[in-house]
Amino acid sequence: MSFKATERWNCVVIEFNGNVMGGPDAVALNEKLHELIDGGKKNVVVDLSKVKFMNSSGLGMLIGALTTMRNAGGDLRIANATDKIESLLIITKLITVFQHFKSLDDAVKSFE
Amino acid sequence: MSKPKTHTLRVHATTANIAAVRDFVASHAEAHGFNTEDIDRIRLAVDEAYTNVIKHAYDFDESQWVSIEVKTDPRTIHVVISDSGRSFNPDGYQEPNIEERIKMRKRGGVGVFLIHKLMDEVEYRKQGSLNEIVLTKHL
Repeated sequence: MSFKATERWNCVVIEFNGNVMGGPDAVALNEKLHELIDGGKKNVVVDLSKVKFMNSSGLGMLIGALTTMRNAGGDLRIANATDKIESLLIITKLITVFQHFKSLDDAVKSFE
Repeated sequence: MSKPKTHTLRVHATTANIAAVRDFVASHAEAHGFNTEDIDRIRLAVDEAYTNVIKHAYDFDESQWVSIEVKTDPRTIHVVISDSGRSFNPDGYQEPNIEERIKMRKRGGVGVFLIHKLMDEVEYRKQGSLNEIVLTKHL
């Protein structure tokens, strides 16, 4: 997986790309989140539109990221989950844990 | 109607082979007539089962082997994943409370839960020194 962070005025959008399977990606993401928190940026939208595959380790990484942002006093919201990813979130009941939005714009606006 | 068929892939127990294992099973599921949603479910269940072998049966020892056998009969696909490592005790498995795990900041434990949710039947077998998990999906 790769990810790209883009700053908006009220939040940071992190776009995931590829296969989300935790492991070394979780370390890189955690470092990025702490860099953002240290810079006073505590609200993040994860754009999942380019995610091809996600397994339980990837879900664990997403949960870890959510916990990191909430512990810092911010939040992590998700946008553009494909049907496949949404189904995974429903099966694991994580759909109730994340605030999720059908579009990136809606997710960004939710932080206004 | 397809005739019963068996296809086998044998790979080292490494995460480098995860995509090949997923694709091997998915290609046979597709050829057998499963729809995209079911193929995605089978693909994810196989990913979780293979990953569990790497982590828990072999403790990331990449010199070990995993065998993936796909058996199809007219209405069903069976995926048999075999290893010779530490056995998984299904009797000791309890369905996790995922929200509780999140509150307690615990990771893991979700893979087996997902496998059971994604497949129609899941069976654990012991064949001599081999551990087998049999994942079954009906058309």
